[in-house]
Amino acid sequence: MLLLAPGIIWLLLFGIVPLGFMIVMSFWKSTIFGTSPDFQFANYAQLFTTSLYADLLFKTLRIAVVVTVITLVLSYPVAYFISRRRGIWKALCILGLFLPFWTSYVVRAFVWLPILGRGGAINKALLSLGIIDQPIDWLLYNEGAVYVGLVYVYTLFMTLPIYLSIEKVDPKLIEAAVDLGARPRAVFFRVLLPLTWPGVLSGSIMVFLLAVSAYVTPQLLGGPSGIMYGNMIASQFLSNNNWAFGSALGVTLIAVVLVILGVSGRWVGLQQVFTGGARG
Amino acid sequence: MSGADISAASGRAAAKVRLRDPYFAYRIVLGLYAAAFLVFLYAPLVMIAFLSFNDSPIIGFPFQGFSVKWYAKVLNTPVLLQSFGNSVMVGFLSAAIATVLALLLALGFRHAIRYKPGLLNLILVPIIIPGIVGGIVLLIFFGYLGVRSSLWTTVLVAHVNWVLPFAFLTLYPRLHRFDRALEEAATDLGARPLGVFRYIVWPLVRPAVIATVLFAFSLSFDEFIRTIFVVGYDRTIPVQFWSMIVDDLAPELPAMAVMIIFVSGFTSLIAFLVGRRAD
Repeated sequence: MLLLAPGIIWLLLFGIVPLGFMIVMSFWKSTIFGTSPDFQFANYAQLFTTSLYADLLFKTLRIAVVVTVITLVLSYPVAYFISRRRGIWKALCILGLFLPFWTSYVVRAFVWLPILGRGGAINKALLSLGIIDQPIDWLLYNEGAVYVGLVYVYTLFMTLPIYLSIEKVDPKLIEAAVDLGARPRAVFFRVLLPLTWPGVLSGSIMVFLLAVSAYVTPQLLGGPSGIMYGNMIASQFLSNNNWAFGSALGVTLIAVVLVILGVSGRWVGLQQVFTGGARG
Repeated sequence: MSGADISAASGRAAAKVRLRDPYFAYRIVLGLYAAAFLVFLYAPLVMIAFLSFNDSPIIGFPFQGFSVKWYAKVLNTPVLLQSFGNSVMVGFLSAAIATVLALLLALGFRHAIRYKPGLLNLILVPIIIPGIVGGIVLLIFFGYLGVRSSLWTTVLVAHVNWVLPFAFLTLYPRLHRFDRALEEAATDLGARPLGVFRYIVWPLVRPAVIATVLFAFSLSFDEFIRTIFVVGYDRTIPVQFWSMIVDDLAPELPAMAVMIIFVSGFTSLIAFLVGRRAD
């Protein structure tokens, strides 16, 4: 098909071929003289045997899981609330949900600096209320600040697919459960949640994938203890000039992503995840 | 009486019904929670807008008086204006390229073609690959080819890569929906393929295309994680914003943030409204 050719060629040339370059380079060797094509496994050996790197990978996976769980718990009630609105209120709710996310996540991560910082809004408020008499230092530059930032930046990717799947649930099913005497808890866990499972899974995969490759938020808010895997990758290219090792880190991250998608592919299709669980 | 009936009849004998409605408390808590969530989403942005008018050389409180001097400073700094200009130009060009490619792909996808699921996955590759990897692979690729990093080479490619899947995902459902019989009728009546596109397809897809271009523009305008690796000595506005945070937390950052929010928020809002009308 002639119509498909330009797009397919673009994607192969600038999407797939560069990936191949990175995979090849992950077996090369970087020295202070540059990166040379010596086929070897030293980069991967270094990655998996040095506890620094292996620990960072596990820490990053842990942070991504926690962020996913937090966004899920925060988002589900909001998605349900919006789905119960009618007419103009529903449109306004959806617009209100989207609006804060229509701007750069660099800006949205940055706004937490003047909130959480030593001289930030929270400290100033607590000081002026007399609750504390010295600024709290532990609000910023640690793992906790990374959670706040990542949840703030990515929560829409959870709320939206859940909302779309709640919308598809026939209200009669809920009514039937209520009429048959189900308690609220049972209605939720035995009717609503199973029916909205595709949306929950789509949102979870999306948030997990975004969080596991985060760079901006941990770099701005995390400080030394909140550093994540993406920061390690970036530093190989932006400061250490160790492209071969950076490539190995990148290949490992892609492998993690593919494993997650492969495992979840049993329940939810790839295309479904990236169309917000709207289909299927 | 079901929960839905109760909410429909909430006007009648409200007090009595409420006592028996097991969901009344839940609804109140849910409403309060939704309001709190909205505060969580908006309070930081409102605060940054507030701070952008603070007449103080340090970002933060206390508020030392209303001033527009940080906006004036941004508008009088050539480097910042140039970064803005770069982002706008790259945004429009990459949106245009990505939309054309996505439109062709979406048109092609309506025909019975082989390897359709595989091709669909290929289109999704740039959003499946983590952004940071999407940046470094292009750095490696162009570095190896000897292409110097700059706005109109590496950055443009990175941005088209990034927005192409989204452009496709917004166009494809809308193209898929309209009646192929219209085109077939035109062809039967002797219209050439370009004529069919010009007089039948284009008028039908135009709103969706406009929405897609605007949406793609806002995605490109905000792109950071791929750009940072391939930007070379040029600057887009998110990269410039980033380097100013990392360097010295310049006092004009809140004003810049408000301007960035305004540009990308406004284009996205228009795209959203046009897209809704297109449905």
